[in-house]
This record gives sequence, C-alpha cells and structure tokens, in this order.
Amino acid sequence: MRGQRVLANSRLLSAALWIVGLFLLWELISWILLHVVHATLAQSKLPYLHEVLRAFGMNGQTLLKEGGVTFMNAGMGFLLGAAAGVLLAVLMSVSNWIEQLAFPYAVASQMIPILGLAPILYGIVRDEQIARILIAAYITFFPVSLNMLRGLRSVHPSAYELMRAHAAKPWEVYLKLKLPAALPGLFGGLKIAAPLAVTGAILVELMGAQHGIGVMMLRNLYYGPSHAYLFWCTVLLGALLGLLSYGLIGMAERLLTPWQPAFRRKGGER
Amino acid sequence: MKGNSVTSADIRTASGAGGVGSSPMPAKSAADRSMKPERRQRRSFKAALRIALPVLAGLLFVALWELKLFHSLFNLRTYQLPLPSAIAQAMADNRSLLASYTGYTLSEAVLGMLAGSAIGFIVALCATAWPRWGAGSLLIVASFNAVPIVALAPIMNLWFGDGIGSRIAIVTVATMAAMAVNAHKGMTMVDPLALDFMKSCAATKLEVFRYLRIPASLPYVFTALKINTTAGMIGAIVGEFFYSSRGLGYLLSNSIKVAKMPIGWSCITTAAIVGILFYLFMEFLERRLVKRHV
Repeated sequence: MRGQRVLANSRLLSAALWIVGLFLLWELISWILLHVVHATLAQSKLPYLHEVLRAFGMNGQTLLKEGGVTFMNAGMGFLLGAAAGVLLAVLMSVSNWIEQLAFPYAVASQMIPILGLAPILYGIVRDEQIARILIAAYITFFPVSLNMLRGLRSVHPSAYELMRAHAAKPWEVYLKLKLPAALPGLFGGLKIAAPLAVTGAILVELMGAQHGIGVMMLRNLYYGPSHAYLFWCTVLLGALLGLLSYGLIGMAERLLTPWQPAFRRKGGER
Repeated sequence: MKGNSVTSADIRTASGAGGVGSSPMPAKSAADRSMKPERRQRRSFKAALRIALPVLAGLLFVALWELKLFHSLFNLRTYQLPLPSAIAQAMADNRSLLASYTGYTLSEAVLGMLAGSAIGFIVALCATAWPRWGAGSLLIVASFNAVPIVALAPIMNLWFGDGIGSRIAIVTVATMAAMAVNAHKGMTMVDPLALDFMKSCAATKLEVFRYLRIPASLPYVFTALKINTTAGMIGAIVGEFFYSSRGLGYLLSNSIKVAKMPIGWSCITTAAIVGILFYLFMEFLERRLVKRHV
C-alpha cells in the first residue's frame, strides 16, 4: 500500500517537476530571445509566460466566454457524432449487410484528412453554429464507430456459450455482455475524437465566424505585436480546451469502466 | 490484430485508428486448399460480394449526387455543392497544378512525420530507460496530442517563416505524441519472463533494448506510423490553410474564398486518394518488416 502511494506520488511529482522545469525553460528561452539574440518580434515568438498569464487574468471574462462558445459547440457535435457512431457500430455488429456496406468506408475515412473538409462544409452550410457542430460530429463519428465495433467483437466466445447455455435472449446478450465489453473500445474512440472535435470547431471559426476562441485568435494575430500576449492566451486556451475534453473523457472512462487493467494499482495485462 | 490491446487506456489504442480489419486471415489459403471445390466457390463468391457491395453503394451514391438528389433534399445550389462531373472536370483541367501541389504537401507531411516519429521514439526510449522521470515526460508529450493543430500554425509561422519549414514543424509536433505513447507501450509490455531471462544472462540495459524491447515495440511503432500518416496529411493541409502560397491546403482554402467550389472539392478528393495510398504504403512496409504479428 504505502509503496504504491509513494510510487503514484513519484509519478505525479515527476510530472510536476517536468512542468516546473518547462516553465523555467520557457522563461529562459524567452529572455534569451529578447535580450541576447535580439530577435525580431521576440515577444510574439515566445513571450514571457508570466506576462501571458497576467494577460489571461486581465481578459479572463472574454476569453472564457469565447472559449465556452467553442467548447459547447464542439461538445454538442461530439455527442451527436458519438451517438451516431455507436448506432452505426451496433448496426454493423447486428447485420452483415450493413457491415459490408459501411465498414470499408469507415476504414477509408480514417486515412483521409477529414479536417480539410471544414472550409468546404462551412461553404455549404453558411452558418457557423451548424458548421461547427457538424464538423465536430463528422470527425467524431468514424473513430467512435470503428473502435466501438472492435469492442463489440472483442467478446470471448466462451462467454457467448455461457449466455447461450442459460438461454439468454439476444437483447440480454447485448445488454449484459456485448455492450459492457465494447465500452473500453468505445472510450478509446472517444479519446481520439475529443481533441479533434475541438480542433475542428476552432478551424471552422478561423474560416470567418463571429464568435469563438478561433475568432479571437485571428483578431489578436492581425493586431500585431501589441497583442502578442493576448494571442498567446488564445493559443493556450485552445490547448487547454483540447486537454479538458480529453481529461473529461478519461474521467468518465475511469468511472464507467473501472475494471480495465490500466486502472489497476499495478498495471499489467494479466 | 492485437486483440489484447482493446483494453488500453492510452491516447490511442495500440491498434489505433484504422487498424481494424487491416490484417487478412493468414490461415485462409491453407483452409482454401483443404476445402471442397464448391465450398471454395461459395467463399470466392462471398469475397466478391464483399468488394462489390460497397463499390456498388458508392457508385449509387455518386449517381444520386449527380442527379441532384442531395440538392433537392437540402435545398442546395450547385455552386455550394458541385456535381461529381464538375469535380472530375476540375481535376482533369488542373492536373499538373494538383500533381505539383500534391508533391509539395506530401513532402511536408512525410518529412514532418519522420521527424516527429523519431522524436517520439526517442522520448519513448528515454521514458523506458529511466522510468521514474520518464512517466512525467510521457504525460507532457501525450498532452501535445490534445493541442489543436490550428493553434500551432500561427506560432510555427512566426518561428520558421512561411516556407515549408513551418508546416514541417506543425506536422512534427502533431505526430510526436502517438509515436511516443505507442512505442512506450510496446517497450514496456514485454514478457516479464523474457526480462528475467535477460537479467539472469547478465544482459546490460543496452542489450535488453537491442534484443528485446525494440523488437517487441516494432508492431506498436508501425501502428503509430499508420496513425501518423493521416495526422501528417491533416497537419500539412491545415498548416497550408494559413500563410502559404503553395500546396493542396492553400489551393483548397483559396478556391473556396473565390467561390470556385469544384477546384476545392478536387483538392479534397486528391488529398483523400493520397492519404489512402500513403496509409497503404505504410501497411505494405509493415508486412515486409514485421515478421511476427503479435
């Protein structure tokens, strides 16, 4: 017990040390750029982090409001896409026909730069709200459906036989065996998709929306060096939103699938 | 297929995006030979159906699109959603331009991906060799994965100017994390018995890596490479949306600004084809280089 606590602490400690180290390194490089190399636009290239944080504090209200718009839209699209992806996966696992139809396209879509569709979609829809939600949903859809399908198929044959032996009805097999078995796969897909959904939403905003963190990013970039700190705030906020989306999914995963080996005190496959 | 990796809780499952259904059944040929002829025929018919069905569905989809079904459904104009024939026409008309821009974008994606994957692999090596400090660094690198690529574009542009360098840098950052996480998983999930055996033979740390950990990580490395083909293309294209004067992403965003939708769509089509080919090339390399599929 105690050893494990020390181990967990040491992991957190090492991460914390890394963060502190990176912070110091950032400040140092920033100082070197400004005073040693005399780089042009030094504060735009790598501003002092403490200045950025101060700017964050001063403009916190606006930043959080715009960030909230982006995050909410990305979240709505994400949920929509995830629901559709789960539905398709279940349909594929039920029906061979649907699987043969949809599966090759789902796999091919994994190899296609989907984010490139963002400007095209915006051109079709002409409504930033809907475009954001749609692109986030579209990006989420394929990884979720593929990983969910893999999870549904991961059921051990012997578990099937046990269900059959107990004369379980098909829906019971689904509810008690297949869906729980598919959860780890589903979360794997959700984790891939969550940061991408945020990226997609920001990308749509950069194409000429009115609200959202992407719009602020562009504006402060165009204002030039005087707004360098605020621009970096938007970048950091974008990164934080991505991390937040990932973290939320990770927490949900821990709550809903606590049996996974990765969450065991001492990790291991067996 | 790495069936045991479904329960991974890392950023990307070890058999990551698109790894499904990618490995054909190796035992098939042997089974085929032992089958009765009519059985074999039925199987080949099934296989033909497997290919024909999606192809037919795709053709049907394109035909309906050409017949303006979607336009009447969603009340769209042809300048918003061009017809497939117009897209094909645009592709034919701009053949040479598309080809040269594809080369440019692909070179960005490949160079960035190689750099990013190399850095990621080195991070994984260090994290495995010095686990106490490695765990933290891996967390940091993994967090890069959640950073929207879009936010990187302007910064890399400030650092590297608006030449090819800035896009390579974007792709490098975008592809680092998947490799670091996957390679680390491959290096640490080795058989404990094998580790014990190495120890009992007084193997040095270097030898453990050379003969056990690095070979064991190869399938995972290729999984990461396959994920990174897509990530690299996306990074390069999204990087070209802003501040660039060449490449598929540039042409795409530009033709939309001036309402030349068919050209925009032809860029997307080209990018999709190139992305698929790039991915399949990685898969081919994997088959050649990784003998034992875990």
